[in-house]
Amino acid sequence: MPDKKIAMPQLTYLEAIRQGIWEEMERDPTVFCLGEDIGIYGGAFKVTDGFIDRFGPERVIDTPIAESAIVGAAFGASLTGMRPVAEFQFMDFIGCAFNQIVNMVAKAHYRWGAPAPLVIRGPSGGNVHGGPYHSQNPEMWFVHAPGLKVVCPASAYDAKGLIKAAIRDNNPVIFFEHKYLYRRIKEEVPAEDYIVPLGKARTVREGRDLSIITYAAMVHIALEAAETLSAEGTEIEIVDLRTISPLDREAIAATVRKTSNVIVLHEHSRTGGLAGEIASIINEDAFDHLDGPIVRIAAQDSPVPFSPPQEEYFLPQVSDVLREARRLKAY
Amino acid sequence: MVKKQKAKRAARSAPSPGANQRTYTIADHRLEKLDISIRQVRKSGKVSYEVTGDLSAPVPPIRDSKYLGKRQCIEIYRWMLLNRKMEAALENLYKQGKVVGGVYFGLGQEGCSCASAYALHKEDWLGPMIRNQGSTLVRGFSPRDIMMQYMAKAGSPTHGRDASSHFGDIKDRNVVSPISTLGDLLPVLAGVALGARLQGRNIAVMTYIGDGGQSTGVTYEGLNFAAVQDLGLVLFVENNLWAYSTPADMQFRVKDLAERAIAYGIPGVIVDGTDPCQVYDAAHEACERARRGQGPTLIEAKMMRMKGHAIHDAADYVPKPLFEYWRKRDCITRFENYLLNVKKWLTVTENRELIAGVDQQLEADRDFAVSSPMPEPESAAGGVYCENGCHEIEPKYAMPKSRKGSVVSAGGKEAAVHLR
Repeated sequence: MPDKKIAMPQLTYLEAIRQGIWEEMERDPTVFCLGEDIGIYGGAFKVTDGFIDRFGPERVIDTPIAESAIVGAAFGASLTGMRPVAEFQFMDFIGCAFNQIVNMVAKAHYRWGAPAPLVIRGPSGGNVHGGPYHSQNPEMWFVHAPGLKVVCPASAYDAKGLIKAAIRDNNPVIFFEHKYLYRRIKEEVPAEDYIVPLGKARTVREGRDLSIITYAAMVHIALEAAETLSAEGTEIEIVDLRTISPLDREAIAATVRKTSNVIVLHEHSRTGGLAGEIASIINEDAFDHLDGPIVRIAAQDSPVPFSPPQEEYFLPQVSDVLREARRLKAY
Repeated sequence: MVKKQKAKRAARSAPSPGANQRTYTIADHRLEKLDISIRQVRKSGKVSYEVTGDLSAPVPPIRDSKYLGKRQCIEIYRWMLLNRKMEAALENLYKQGKVVGGVYFGLGQEGCSCASAYALHKEDWLGPMIRNQGSTLVRGFSPRDIMMQYMAKAGSPTHGRDASSHFGDIKDRNVVSPISTLGDLLPVLAGVALGARLQGRNIAVMTYIGDGGQSTGVTYEGLNFAAVQDLGLVLFVENNLWAYSTPADMQFRVKDLAERAIAYGIPGVIVDGTDPCQVYDAAHEACERARRGQGPTLIEAKMMRMKGHAIHDAADYVPKPLFEYWRKRDCITRFENYLLNVKKWLTVTENRELIAGVDQQLEADRDFAVSSPMPEPESAAGGVYCENGCHEIEPKYAMPKSRKGSVVSAGGKEAAVHLR
């Protein structure tokens, strides 16, 4: 954090993202936005509210409901040296543009040396009772597509710094905003220019006994559990990955070496999830430091159910973390 | 009496022309309008394709171009020859076991590829499809580049990383590399035009789709996006009658694919894809429209794919009379005749020299490509990301002008938010 003594406003996670994109558009005329209902309406979640008045309809483009066209057009514009920021109204709809993203965009630099400096951003995640098509965490589809960077911020400070870094990056970045966090978390965010580098994890909480490796909304579940466990004498270290592709292998190995006990916690479903990949990294880089099995806590292998009691059952809860942490500690 | 009543009834039920009826125009520049259908028929337990319709019409002449002069026509003719002879050389290299994978041909479609790309200016862009190898030649790639792609050589434009026509160049030649799935180039080329417009330039961006590829959803998305945004997309719908082994009649119900333009609210044009003058004129007019910022044009070019989908495919499923019909309409034979005998822009000797020059160029390129090395295995690594300053990202045409305005960020509306 900058040590300048200036008044830092309290910003929500959403407002921080909004400010980050705004600042980049002020700073760099090659940055522009496109997406559905992002102009006069300001986006379904109001992330681009007021942008069209400031930057004009040329740089804040309302598109037809055509996700492949949005990504394709963003890529095409990036080939001319522009830095497009494409909004997906919900990241659940990203499947509509899957081919453009994984076959056209992700492979472009490797295949024919064409950089694609574009950002695809939008709300993801559950706990808002949005049902199977407004609650998903589709990030793993893209972690498995080399050439993409996948970013999932957990805090307002990181959200602003990461969106700015994503826009400046010369690679395609898929930026998963967590809609549960949009207006629920608020913190002091510098009004000035700063970036949070992609590919670097952050230790959110130091602890000696057990590591929870996680990201996005689950960071807050882990923090809540850590308070209870601390009262029981177990000090939890929480590593917020922030970028899940490419992964910060160093940070993963470092926390394992420190605590020797690991829980990987994620909101997307279990099979083929990020925990499997992280377990393999630990296996390769820090196996000798483990005192027990690597535990994973994830959503069940099903679509995201709609009804609140069902969604609660589906999503990892603080109680799951407490149970698994106690079990692992006693191993 | 009965007849009269019937006529009355018909008049009542048929929509009356006037306010309730709209008419649309599709410009059709062809000198011959083939009307056939290709259907699946069962004969003695075997299902095959059968063509119905009149295939006996005389071969039409080349239509004089409104824009092309002697020099340009000869240049296009040379590109077409280079295109065809390069593919013949590739076929030989394949038979010698030197090609990795398959070979794709544009046989019979060289006039469409070369004359369309010839209408582009240097600052315009091209997104070729698999059969548009001629377009990439016109755009400045050499036969050796394409041969090295097919032989997976280290010196190929993709350094061995991708095959066939899957290469591009964003720096000098303004070519977007195609991918194997069809229609995906449309929104990308539209985006290129959008990028240029944000930098203060209206350019023409040209790409192609086939009678098969136009069935994909992204084709609609891309062309509709270009139409809504008035982006200068020049779309050639190359109706070559066959999508791998599926005839055009099984891909769509409209009579002519150019009719699709009506549904996008853009101009639709039909040309004979084997007549380079018709192709060029339509391309030129569409490019000029694009450069005036007036939006996209759909040009349907009618022709036939004269080989199988790729070299492995003998195209046995194509009814023989179709091959015979289209062979008589071969774009190179007819254009050669036009230049030599109709316009008398080329003498027999000049033509012979021109052909010899093409052969020489191809021989040199083939030798170069054959003797060039394969990539080192380790060269498969790296380059997944653009990093360590491997590319400078800067606007290609000009730094976009940013609107002056209040620096105060408004926003922060809390009301009426979707899913809190």
